[in-house]
Amino acid sequence: MAEETSKKNPEIVGFCCSYCTFKASEMAGSLRMKYPEGVKVIEVPCSSRVDPAFIIKAIVEGADGVFVSGCHPGDCHFIKGNFYTRRKIAALKEMFDALSMKDRLRLFWVSASEARRFIDKVTSFYNYIKEKNDEREKA
Amino acid sequence: MKTGIFICHCGHNIKHTVDVKKLSEYFKKIPNVTVSKDYVFVCSEPGQDMIKDAIEKEGLDRVIIASCTPSLHGPMFKDVLRKSNLNPFLLRRVSIREHCAWVGNDVEANTEKAKRLILAGLYSSAHYVPLEEKIVDVQKSALVVGGGVSGLSAAIFLSKMGMHVYLVEKEAALGGHVRILKDVWPAGRDGKGIVEEMAGELEKQENVEIFTSTTITNFEGFFGNYEATLKTPEGEKRLTVGGAVLAIGFSPFDPGIKPELQYGKDKRIITTLEFENNSDTLRLPEKPRVAILHCVGSRDEQIGKPYCSRVCCVNALRVGNALKDKHKESYVESFYMDVRAHPKGGEEFFEDTQEKGVLFTRANVGEIIPTPSGVVIRGEDTLFGETFEREFDLVVLSIGMSSPKDCKLIANTFKIALDKDNFFMEAHIKLRPFDTAVKGIFIAGSCSGPKDVEESINHGRASAVKLFGLLNLGYTYVEPFISYVDPKRCSGCRMCEHACFSNAIKYDEEKRVVHVEEAACMGCGLCNATCPSSAISLRGYIDPMIDDEISGFTEAI
Repeated sequence: MAEETSKKNPEIVGFCCSYCTFKASEMAGSLRMKYPEGVKVIEVPCSSRVDPAFIIKAIVEGADGVFVSGCHPGDCHFIKGNFYTRRKIAALKEMFDALSMKDRLRLFWVSASEARRFIDKVTSFYNYIKEKNDEREKA
Repeated sequence: MKTGIFICHCGHNIKHTVDVKKLSEYFKKIPNVTVSKDYVFVCSEPGQDMIKDAIEKEGLDRVIIASCTPSLHGPMFKDVLRKSNLNPFLLRRVSIREHCAWVGNDVEANTEKAKRLILAGLYSSAHYVPLEEKIVDVQKSALVVGGGVSGLSAAIFLSKMGMHVYLVEKEAALGGHVRILKDVWPAGRDGKGIVEEMAGELEKQENVEIFTSTTITNFEGFFGNYEATLKTPEGEKRLTVGGAVLAIGFSPFDPGIKPELQYGKDKRIITTLEFENNSDTLRLPEKPRVAILHCVGSRDEQIGKPYCSRVCCVNALRVGNALKDKHKESYVESFYMDVRAHPKGGEEFFEDTQEKGVLFTRANVGEIIPTPSGVVIRGEDTLFGETFEREFDLVVLSIGMSSPKDCKLIANTFKIALDKDNFFMEAHIKLRPFDTAVKGIFIAGSCSGPKDVEESINHGRASAVKLFGLLNLGYTYVEPFISYVDPKRCSGCRMCEHACFSNAIKYDEEKRVVHVEEAACMGCGLCNATCPSSAISLRGYIDPMIDDEISGFTEAI
């Protein structure tokens, strides 16, 4: 039974920059906003700390989706860390595309004050993955 | 390894959506976990004592506190470890309140999520090592950029409080825009007098060096020991300063950006600044007809200046007032959107001006057409909803404040952020209005948004006090979360050196490996993610920590 539910409900791992998105996720919690339990976040100092190897590892180990989220472009605490992230994720997406799992990886920007945006982004990603999983199961 | 896990109920906050008893029972069976307890308020006095006791009795070498988010109670829990002679960096906080209990309603799913979160913390903390916060000396000197009223007031205060001050001004004379004002409202003093008095006061101080006609070419380092490079007329000069106050002011709006105003094409169309400086030499007929346009370069979405410049309404009122004083028979009409005479006495001044006979018409001016007999203004009266067309002998444009010309250059040099209007951005608009995101760098005056003279002076003083507070302490802590290199693994490819934007990574030509300049490292971890040979790691966020954290999440899937 437990296995069945875990199969149905997607597991999402998120890498959140400690200056923006992680703060937004804290705020979302304080405001008692709801999002699916499958979403779990890891705090990193800057989104540029995310090594593509982490993303691949998470997916290999069974995560249904991975997102990376940092400060809006131009707002990085480390001046331009998120520009590096953007390039890195774009390159990784190309790789994922070849394995037809491009849609399992998402990059978005959420600033520290945008708790609502954080909820919207993770929930829509979760629902999207869930839909895809259901389709696959039916097929 | 002996790990202690303490799970907080947070009263009912966590307990009512997470089965804490089940969790603490579960973790008792996990290897390497010596203590697994749940408690009603771990942050309370008895809760802290419980952790202390467990560390001392069981000899714990890792402490995991599953409670609220790490940014809350962080220093307090670190102190608990310190008091028990355990390095505070062996503490792991797991957020099961903000990231679990409060964001889901299903008890079973939440308990499962909390279990995974704590498991991830447990795996990750196995790689923790004791770290020390470093104490670094702070230079008791400050760089003040900009010699306008806010820069001058910051420099005066800093020097009076005993800091060594370097004041840098790009123009030949101190004083900025206030120097050219003839009559600073409301006191009625001339601007030159004000700035010369301030400059005189500053020059009397012994611990002040003033550089005029000087620009800043480079600024690097970290709080307490910044290195600034100045380009002076005598050549390059390098300074070491503890912190900086940026007071580079503003640029007056250039009405040429709005071609419909015909500014610069006709001598009868001038700005408030030009009116102020040339009011004696203006040739006006016996009964002059004068139009004053408010909000030129302010509250205008079309040219990307949606903000209110705050000073130009009073400037426009002053023009009307001066005209009425000089020419009793004149016809003066002010075209406004809203009159925002906000400083002290501004509203009274507005009424006074109305009483003197200046007409106020709420209008959108569409077009200005210079003709030989006069300048025609066409627009729409927004109160009556009618169009109008009137002829004037003189049109005065009440121009607003734009962001300083050098804003991007200075922002890049000092690595601070600009807001959407290209003014400097405060760290927090209400709580930290003088701070930037960079420690030890403060902003003063209208470079962070339009301000009048009084506000600018006060802003300068406030920034000076804030900087003094940091410098006077004499030392600062450096976060230990910085990168380090394993020279045995480093292949000398220098990819990290190119990636690093704080120039903290230096290449050793002889040994053919890189090393990290600890003082300059900001701790973003980009180098760690870039290194192809895993030779460079960010303390506190090394690869195995994050790898195992992921494992904690995904293990049971």
